[in-house]
Amino acid sequence: MTRLLAIIERDIKKFVRNPIVVIMSLVMPIVYLVILGNSFQGKLKGLPLAIVDQDSGIYSRRLIDNLRAVEAGARTVSIHMLNDQNAALTGVRNGVYKSALIIPPGFTKSANLRKEPDVGLFLDNTDTVSSIAIKALVNSALNSVREEHVPVRDKPYEFYARNIELYSMVDYYQTLVPGVVIMAIFLGTMTAGVFNLVMDRFLGIDESYLLTPLSKTDIVSGLVISGLFITTLIAFVVLIVSMLITGIPFSKGIEQMFSIFMIIVLTTLALLSLMFVILGRATHPRIVGLSSGFLNVIFFFPSGAIYPIESFPAWLRAFAKVNPEAYAVHALKSVLFKGAGLDVILGDIIFLLIFTNVMMVIAILSFKRTM
Amino acid sequence: MAGINNIIEVSGLVKKFGSLAAVDGVTFDVPEGEFFGFLGPNGAGKTTLIRMLTTLLKPTGGRAVVAGIDVSASPQEVRKKIGVVPQALTSDLDLTGYENMDLYGRFYSIPSRERREKIKNLFEIIGLSNRQNDLVATYSGGMRRRLEIARVLVHAPTVLFLDEPTIGLDPQSRRAVWEFLEKFRKEYSLTIFLSTHYMEEAESLCDRLAIIDNGKIIVLDSPDRLKSELPGNDIIHLTLSDLSMISPVEDKIKGLAFVHNVVAEGEDLRVFVENGAVNFTPLLESVKEAGGIVNSVGIHQLSMEDVFIHHTGKSIREEGGKKVNFFVGAGLPQKLSR
Ligand SMILES: Nc1ncnc2c1ncn2[C@@H]1O[C@H](COP(=O)(O)OP(=O)(O)OP(=O)(O)O)[C@@H](O)[C@H]1O
Ligand SMILES: [Mg+2]
Repeated sequence: MTRLLAIIERDIKKFVRNPIVVIMSLVMPIVYLVILGNSFQGKLKGLPLAIVDQDSGIYSRRLIDNLRAVEAGARTVSIHMLNDQNAALTGVRNGVYKSALIIPPGFTKSANLRKEPDVGLFLDNTDTVSSIAIKALVNSALNSVREEHVPVRDKPYEFYARNIELYSMVDYYQTLVPGVVIMAIFLGTMTAGVFNLVMDRFLGIDESYLLTPLSKTDIVSGLVISGLFITTLIAFVVLIVSMLITGIPFSKGIEQMFSIFMIIVLTTLALLSLMFVILGRATHPRIVGLSSGFLNVIFFFPSGAIYPIESFPAWLRAFAKVNPEAYAVHALKSVLFKGAGLDVILGDIIFLLIFTNVMMVIAILSFKRTM
Repeated sequence: MAGINNIIEVSGLVKKFGSLAAVDGVTFDVPEGEFFGFLGPNGAGKTTLIRMLTTLLKPTGGRAVVAGIDVSASPQEVRKKIGVVPQALTSDLDLTGYENMDLYGRFYSIPSRERREKIKNLFEIIGLSNRQNDLVATYSGGMRRRLEIARVLVHAPTVLFLDEPTIGLDPQSRRAVWEFLEKFRKEYSLTIFLSTHYMEEAESLCDRLAIIDNGKIIVLDSPDRLKSELPGNDIIHLTLSDLSMISPVEDKIKGLAFVHNVVAEGEDLRVFVENGAVNFTPLLESVKEAGGIVNSVGIHQLSMEDVFIHHTGKSIREEGGKKVNFFVGAGLPQKLSR
């Protein structure tokens, strides 16, 4: 027990004495939250749209006015009026415009004749997200032009979609928070956990430990416990800062806090022991550095933190079933946004417990006590 | 060796890395209280041997008993009895000198009061009391080494293993290490096992010495006996001007009555002679007769280095039998060690 405490104390001292590491571990997930939250928010802005009006009739002007209204309001597009169709198309090809709308001569005329008026919309289909948005926008602008001369009763069907929000307002920015906390845990388990082991081995410090009566279990669990302590702290700071930034309310009481604490501790243990299994025998810290980016992608993206697991192809869904980060994200989302109690996240907790135990046993068994 | 208490007993110890036998059937005993040395060139197998004796490596064959305990059977028990200073520096740079020592004491479950007193005493002996609360990152190499030697004495081991403890140190720091090794030895009545490739270190510290090369013990005795057992009493050292002269000269002078042994290394010849002062001139004449042109010549009394050369046929500081000669001109060759 004294031995274990000695190792833990040493690791915490060493961690605290490297303030850059502390700061990086805290700042990186938060920067990630801010960047991801602002660069990929679901809302698109300022997509350049070239319009060539070869008709110049009332209806073409009406169509352009409709689009101008969007430009002024939601700012989805920024409109560039051109005279030359070729210039517009070249612009799309060169990436100057995301799309070119060509209103042909006779557009107004065919509208007057109550024919279906046609326009040409040239899309940069290498950028699917922008293309889909512009297409939808132009269609709806076109529809409202049509509505003016189609008698109301002729409308075949009309759908009303009403958003029914099941839970209190959760915006995209906030939904990133669980993922960012899990990422903070991941980074913590790397820097405060297995990295220390491999670094000590690389520097030869471990040789002097192996010469003492420390057991395998002392060495592995010492590192796991100190890693747990440091990582839990980091995760909590990241969680609280993220909640402040995105405006998630804190008000949900003791049970919620307890659930969050438990999820963070269990996720940390699961990832720490997993990293020991994967990287515990590496001989160079560079291997840990390189693998960390790779492992982060492997476990983070299929965790449901960014994109719903249900939309994954079958093989990736299968992987998500054994990915501890997926359970962690599910549990954190439930507790943070749905006010779920322990009963809802029980399955996640049990999975994380079993996972940790299995990995710890493998980690200790595979750890080499000799050189 | 019945009756005498052996602290280390090794018989037929082997360690193979693939097909390479790094330690190739080594047998020796070290009685209680002895300062025992292993002298060998780079790659001789010193570190491998120490790692087996200190539980870091599993032997491929043979048996080693340390402090009465079989190393393979109960490594954990052995670890409690030994103190080991590995060849590489192993103190933690992010901790202070005191913390490094304290950590060790805690690994051996020494009560905190006792620990504090021991550490204080040890810092006094190594002369670093005023630096004990500085980070090890700020220590010099010699200071780190002293700290690391003192560190493994916190738990009062029965036997101390030191793997080339003064490698990379300047002569002054080296002497400081020697001095307090002697001090520790008395104060803690230690048995010490030391490996080195410094002749002077082996000679001045060790009660008995084993010369090891290519994983095998070549001779084992006290430094004085090793020297007195050598044939002759002086060495005449010749450097010839051309490599092609070596073998005719060697053949010629081997036939001289006062020459006991000739060891050639590149353009150098080490001639083990009786009464060098008297036989100096006749030797040079024979060399001339054999067509040798002498670039430099020197004469000295037998040293440990000559013991090593006599037994292994090469000097200790070269690696893999290849020879690079840095020395041309007069004076005794002083080969660079690294
Ligand atoms: N882990 C290993 N794997 C393969 N070969 C090894 C290993 N460790 C040592 N050797 C080889 O065993 C031989 C003995 O090495 P060892 O380190 O014991 O020599 P040494 O006497 O300590 O040398 P030095 O004075 O350079 O420290 C060398 O040829 C070395 O290359
Ligand atoms: Mg060595």
